[in-house]
Amino acid sequence: MAPVPAFAADSLTKVFPGGTTALDRLTVTVPQGSVGLVGANGAGKTTLFRLLLGLIRPNAGRVEVCGRPVAEDPIGVRSRLGFMPEHDCLPPDQTAQDLVATLGEMSGLPPRAARQRASDVLDLVGLDEARFRPIEGFSTGMRQRTKLAQALVADPELVLLDEPTAGLDPIGRQEMLALVSRLAGFGISVVLATHLLDDVQAVCDHVVMINAGQLVLAGPTDELLERPGTVRVDVGGANDALVQALTARQLRVSVLEDASLEVDSDGLGSDDTLNAVRDAVADLGLPLHALSTRHSSLDEVFLRQAGER
Amino acid sequence: MSALPPPHAPDPASTVTDPAFAHDATVEVGDLSVWFGPKVALSELSCSFGPGVTGLLGPNGAGKTTLMRAMTGLLGPNTGTVRVLGRDPRADRSVQRTLALVPEDEAVPPGLTARQLVRYVARLHAVADTAAADASLATVGLSDVADRRVGGFSKGMRQRTKVAAALVTDPTVLVLDEPLNGADPVQRAHLITLFRHLGNEGRTVIVSSHVLHEVERLAERQIVLLRGRLAAAGDHRAIRDAMADRPRRVLVRTPSTRALAGALLELEAVSSVAVDGTELTVSSNRARDVAVALPRLARSLGARLDEVRPLDDSLESMFRELVR
Amino acid sequence: MTAPTGPLGAVYDRGYRPYEDMLGGRRSAVLALYRASIRRALGMRRSWRQKVLPWSLLAIVTVPAIINVGVGYLTRDTPAEGFEFITYREYVGVSTALLLFVAVTAPDVMCPDRRHRVLPLIFARPLVGSDYVLAKVGAIATILSGFGFLPQVVLFVGQMLVSDAALDYFRDNAEVLWQVPLAVLLLAVYYAAIGVAAASLTSRRIVGGVAILALALVPSVVTGAVLSTNDVEQGAVAVLNLLALPIYLRDLIFLGHIDPESPLGGVSGGAVLAVVTYVVVLAIAFAILLLRYREPDA
Repeated sequence: MAPVPAFAADSLTKVFPGGTTALDRLTVTVPQGSVGLVGANGAGKTTLFRLLLGLIRPNAGRVEVCGRPVAEDPIGVRSRLGFMPEHDCLPPDQTAQDLVATLGEMSGLPPRAARQRASDVLDLVGLDEARFRPIEGFSTGMRQRTKLAQALVADPELVLLDEPTAGLDPIGRQEMLALVSRLAGFGISVVLATHLLDDVQAVCDHVVMINAGQLVLAGPTDELLERPGTVRVDVGGANDALVQALTARQLRVSVLEDASLEVDSDGLGSDDTLNAVRDAVADLGLPLHALSTRHSSLDEVFLRQAGER
Repeated sequence: MSALPPPHAPDPASTVTDPAFAHDATVEVGDLSVWFGPKVALSELSCSFGPGVTGLLGPNGAGKTTLMRAMTGLLGPNTGTVRVLGRDPRADRSVQRTLALVPEDEAVPPGLTARQLVRYVARLHAVADTAAADASLATVGLSDVADRRVGGFSKGMRQRTKVAAALVTDPTVLVLDEPLNGADPVQRAHLITLFRHLGNEGRTVIVSSHVLHEVERLAERQIVLLRGRLAAAGDHRAIRDAMADRPRRVLVRTPSTRALAGALLELEAVSSVAVDGTELTVSSNRARDVAVALPRLARSLGARLDEVRPLDDSLESMFRELVR
Repeated sequence: MTAPTGPLGAVYDRGYRPYEDMLGGRRSAVLALYRASIRRALGMRRSWRQKVLPWSLLAIVTVPAIINVGVGYLTRDTPAEGFEFITYREYVGVSTALLLFVAVTAPDVMCPDRRHRVLPLIFARPLVGSDYVLAKVGAIATILSGFGFLPQVVLFVGQMLVSDAALDYFRDNAEVLWQVPLAVLLLAVYYAAIGVAAASLTSRRIVGGVAILALALVPSVVTGAVLSTNDVEQGAVAVLNLLALPIYLRDLIFLGHIDPESPLGGVSGGAVLAVVTYVVVLAIAFAILLLRYREPDA
């Protein structure tokens, strides 16, 4: 039996009074694991989150979360979800422990279990000592962690994270992304909504891109990054001899902006092209810094997509 | 356009070898110390910025905001000097007009339209060209929405409005704090292109950001602050190389894992090889030597190299090593 | 497979434990919000400063009971001169202390959720807008009921103990045992609903508090001025005195009719008018609340 997808949308449409089409016949199935949700600013991803949470109803289409149709029991669906909003949403005069425990009770945990789990998840996110301090004095990093903790406290099947690295310095970003990466190992699927494609590449095994409410592309990160038909090679910039050598082997080469080379592999096929490049580099005694059949980043994939439209 | 320093070109005869100091520096910081009561925000900082795009990095509390404010004359040094185009930005009005700061969190008055806001800033700085505001808005891609109220803008659009307002005075020095905040991927790409273009024009563009992947694409030179002091400066790969005691790692994907691993281990330059499926992680203190040896070894073994990827090449990993 | 030899070892906890038991649904979510709101209003799990107001209020409203019992005891053999013993009916009322409590606590329980934008966190839980409203009004009403009821208990038990024959006292005053709880409840729900509805309109506690005080005092002053013209027909205006409205219902419960000495005394159909106005006020309050919390604010 196929594993249940994290969520599945079928012709999901949402039009707000006033005419804005936030989602336009969105159809996508996302497997368990972590998926990056990327798109232009605008109603798309927020609306999708609200639809997944059952807070609003679609004008057309349907959506299932962890195998459960949201329309049938929106409240029940919410008890299996965790949500980490982007904006500041923490009351300053409560301690992290009290807030997370109370929210845990409101997710359906019995009081004692809520206290225990609040303590556990705050420990998990690295707020072990600070959890008895009022949130007022927390840094941005601590606030983000508290927000993540309240999303995890009731052991959700799926968490919705809206820009979890916003406002964090590079170290904080790394730590937050590391935490998010661990969630799949705990059996928690993740939808990571973000503008930062680099974060998605680091953490998500699946990507969904939306623009103007429509699906632009969706697929496993690895697959999206694959670039059949080309081989990219970086020998540190000393390209002339290499270009000559490759051209002599009947390969089409172009020099890219970052001083790496792009070799067309349609003719010889991927494997043989890789070997040809390797051999040419070896012959010339050049350093092989990088070799790949993939895009260097999701950013590149996205821009190419955007450029094609 | 006001008189700019000559277009950026490396001066072979320059005696500047310290990467903390830029060629043709426009903003010079000398032994700068700033403190707020008992808290020392900057401690004897000496560095300079020149034409092109420079990244200003550091963890929270490292002193980046303080430095940006000191450079644009909003704050005075407690000790030390700040000079922009040779003059003191706090005292000299003429140099103030060549400076623009786009801070991260500053609110924009929501009732104004983008055009009104930029025009207002232009008038405030006595910008002669009446079309400057419109040109500025066009540069940041807000022409279509220029007559809408800023209050209704998304975060990314507000940021771009602030950048347009900064550009309208045709500044020589542009200091930007998290300018890409809230921008979606397409807007980010546009802004990155814009900033690089401004840098190529010869302006001194200083960008502070926590999203290191992007600073890497944006800036050719970095200044890294830690706890109010200069921790590192220059090209991030060169900085990484300067941390010679930490080994560099390279990922190699090949079907002939064991054979290649064995051969690599015979190299003196290689300190360790980790095997995981078809992936090898090769650590060494002499990355270049390994890079030269790798294709040769692979060829002699008939080992196809599916992927070779340096794991420590990014600004992100340099930063991580630096603050560890 | 052969039995393992050598020392055994296993890893049980990699930093996260799943929750194996059943999660309560909507009901436990609402109850949790209700309990949390009560805790907040009573200053529990917070600094001592937050506890001062509620607990000193409770003390203040209990004082008359203690005094009555005390005087009753001291004058059990001799008639008390110049001291008016409080009746149970009179004791169900709105003291300044109670009004201040509502004006401070209802905003404290409602406004921060909106001001600090906590509502999306709450509504991501298995509950809906009407649940939120019920929990909040219920929490304030519960506390007001407690603060109305406890002093009455002190008074009753005290009187009982102080009287010549406790059981006789009990029998003679048995009807109080249903009158007081009902009247207290009607009063509590009324003030809770108005207070919470007024507080829901703003995200600033001070504004909410002022609004509540205004709602209580302004109609009171205005109707008082109108009534001072002594026109019996205009006595009907008295129902618009929001502050005192529940008093008429209290009188209906204790006396079976409107108190003739009250402003509504001479008005024909006064009882019906009072009840209808009460219901209308509650309906408006809940309508406001349901509209305010219909869709979660992002």
